[in-house]
Amino acid sequence: MKKFCFLIFLFLSTNSIIAAVGAPCGDYGECDTFKPQLNNIESLQLGALTFINHCYGCHSLKYSRWGRISKDLEIPEKILTENLVFGSDVKLGDRMTGSMQPAVSEGWFGIAPPDLTLVTRLHGSDWVYTYLRTFYEDSSKPYGVNNMVYPGAAMPNVLALLQGQQILSCKDIPIIASNGGVRRDEFGNDITEEKCGYLKTIEGSGKLSEQEFDDYIFDLVNFMTYVGEPSRSVRERMGWYVILFFVVFTAFSYLLYREYQKDYH
Amino acid sequence: MTQQSSGIFNWINTRLPISNTYERHLSKHPVPKKVNFWYLFGALASVVLIIQIISGIWLMFGYENTEEGAFASVEYIMRDIEYGWIIRYMHTTGASMFFAVVYLHMFRGLLYGSYHKPRELVWIFGMTIYLVMMAEGFLGYVLPYGQMSYWGAQVIISLFGAIPYIGESLELWVRGDYYISGATISRFFALHVVALPLILIALVFMHLVALHEVGAGNPDGVDIEKYLDEDGVPLDSVPFFPYKVLNALVAIGVFGIVFSFIMFFFPEGGGYMLELANFEEANPLSTPEHIAPVWYYSPYYAMLRAVPDKLGGLLVMAAAIAILFVVPWLDRSKAASIRYKGILSKIAMTMFIVSWLMLAWLGTVPVTALRTTLSIIGTVIYFAFFLLMPIYTSIEKTKPVPERL
Repeated sequence: MKKFCFLIFLFLSTNSIIAAVGAPCGDYGECDTFKPQLNNIESLQLGALTFINHCYGCHSLKYSRWGRISKDLEIPEKILTENLVFGSDVKLGDRMTGSMQPAVSEGWFGIAPPDLTLVTRLHGSDWVYTYLRTFYEDSSKPYGVNNMVYPGAAMPNVLALLQGQQILSCKDIPIIASNGGVRRDEFGNDITEEKCGYLKTIEGSGKLSEQEFDDYIFDLVNFMTYVGEPSRSVRERMGWYVILFFVVFTAFSYLLYREYQKDYH
Repeated sequence: MTQQSSGIFNWINTRLPISNTYERHLSKHPVPKKVNFWYLFGALASVVLIIQIISGIWLMFGYENTEEGAFASVEYIMRDIEYGWIIRYMHTTGASMFFAVVYLHMFRGLLYGSYHKPRELVWIFGMTIYLVMMAEGFLGYVLPYGQMSYWGAQVIISLFGAIPYIGESLELWVRGDYYISGATISRFFALHVVALPLILIALVFMHLVALHEVGAGNPDGVDIEKYLDEDGVPLDSVPFFPYKVLNALVAIGVFGIVFSFIMFFFPEGGGYMLELANFEEANPLSTPEHIAPVWYYSPYYAMLRAVPDKLGGLLVMAAAIAILFVVPWLDRSKAASIRYKGILSKIAMTMFIVSWLMLAWLGTVPVTALRTTLSIIGTVIYFAFFLLMPIYTSIEKTKPVPERL
C-alpha cells in the first residue's frame, strides 16, 4: 500500500511539473483567474445581453439554441424574442447561427469571425476573460488596436467605448536580488528599473470605471462559460448525489464483505 | 409456481449447461483466499468494458459519422439529447479509466509474475486485449472530429507510410482517401463500434477461459493446487461466490466514487483525457502548435519522438509493445512474485516504473533537447528492463517461496 501511495504521489508530482510549463496568456504571461458563477442567473442574463449586443453581430453560437438559453437563464420567451432575437423568422428551437454571412465577414476581416460556442472550453474561461480586457492602442494595426494575449488578433476592440483608451506604458519595478528580496541602496530605498509593456487605462476616457468594466466582462465570460457547456451546473450538482450513492454502496458492501470474510480468517 | 419454474429450469438445464457453467465458473470456482487489492483491477476492467459498451450504444443514437456532421453531432449529444452529456462523459471517462485499470492490472502481472507457468496464455490473451484496446481508443478518438482527432490521426496514419515498399499504399488503404475525410470517419466508426468490440469481447472470453483453466495467482506466487482437500478443491482457496463477489463489490464501490468524481467534476481530466484543442472542429488548413496524444499513449509517443527516423521510431514503438508478449519467457526466476525475487529484480522494477512514468510525462509535453535526451534514456531503461530480464532473474538469489498461502 505504501508503494502504491508513493506511485500516486510520483504521478501527481509529474503533473504539477507539466502545469508549470509555458505562459498561457501570450505577452500577458499567466492569465487572470476566472471563477465562473453558473448559478448566478442575473450575471448570466447580463452576459447574454452583452453577447447579443456586442458579439453576436459577427460571432455565432451555432451549437446553442435560443430556447435553451431562454429556459436555463430564466428569460421569458416573450422578452427574449422581443429584445434579443433579431429577425422575425427566428424560432426558439433554432440554433444561434449569427447574423453575418461567413463569406461577407471574410472579406471584411480577412478571416471569418469564429463561432464562439466552445471558445471557453477550447482556450479556457481564464484566457477569454484576460483576452477581452487586454486590448491596447497600436496604430500599426488595421483596427488601431492590438491584444496582449493574442498579438495580431484580427478583431477590433468593440468594447473600447465602455473601457476607454488602454495603452501600453512603462513603470518602475523594484529589482529582485538573488536571495529573493528587493535590492536596496545604502539609504534603504528600493532600487528600481524601468520596464515597459504594462497596460494602462486612461482615466475618464470610457463609460465604465476599471472595476465596472471588469465586472461587465465577468458577466460576459460567465455567460460564455455557460454556453460552452450548458449542463455544467446540473452536472456538478448531480455529481455529489452519485458520489454519495457510491459511498453508501461501498460502506454496505464493505460491512457485508467483512462479515463473510470471518468464514475463512 | 416454484414447482413449475423449476420444471422449466430443469427442462432448459438438461439441454443447456446453465447450472454446470454457473457452478464451475462462478459459484464454486476456487480462488486463492489471500490476495491484495492489486487483484481487483481485472474485475474493474470488465465493469468498465460493460460501461463502454452500453454508453457507446447510446452515443451511437445521436452520433453522425460524416465529415460535415461528426463534430456538430457530438455537441448535439452534449446539449440537445436529454442527459446526453452523461452518456458522453461516461464514455470518455470510461476510456481513460479502462486504460488506468488495465495498466494497474498489467502492472500487477509484472509485480507478482502472473505470467509464470502455467499462466503464459492468460498473459498473452491479456496483452492482445491491450493491443486491441489501443487501436480501439485511437479509432474512437478520431470520431468527434476535433482538431486533435484530425491531427492525431494524421500522425498515426502517416506512420504506416514509413513502412518500406508497401507503406504508401497501406496508408491510403487505411485512410480510404488521399487525406483524412468522411471516408476515414465512416470506416473508423465501423471498426470502432463493430469490429474491434467483437474481437475484444472474444479475447476477454478467452482470457477468462484460460484463467479459469489454470486458476488465479496470488501475491506470494504460491501454487495452491499442490494441497487439495478430498473433493480436489485447493485448501487455500475460497469459492468465488460469495466471497470474491463481495470483495469485488467493495472495489466497484470505491471505483464508482473515483469514476464519478472525475466524470462529474473533471471530465476533461485537465486536458489529458479530453484534450482542449479537440473543442475546435477539425481544420486541415491549420496545424496545432503542439500535437500530443491522450495520456494513455504518451509513453509510446515519447519513444516514437525519441528516435529521429520515422521508421526507426515506429519500430521502437512496436517493439515496446511486442516485448511485453514474451515476458513469460524472459523471466527465468524461480520465484514468481517480487516478494521472493532478489535485489536485482527489485532495482530493475523500480527503474522500470520511474522510466515509464517519465516517458508518460514526456509524451505529453513539447519537445526540447533535454526532453529528447530524457526520452532516449527512458526508452533505453524500458527496453533494458525486459532484455536483461533473462540475465538478472537467473543470476540473482531468490528467497524460498512458501508452500502454503
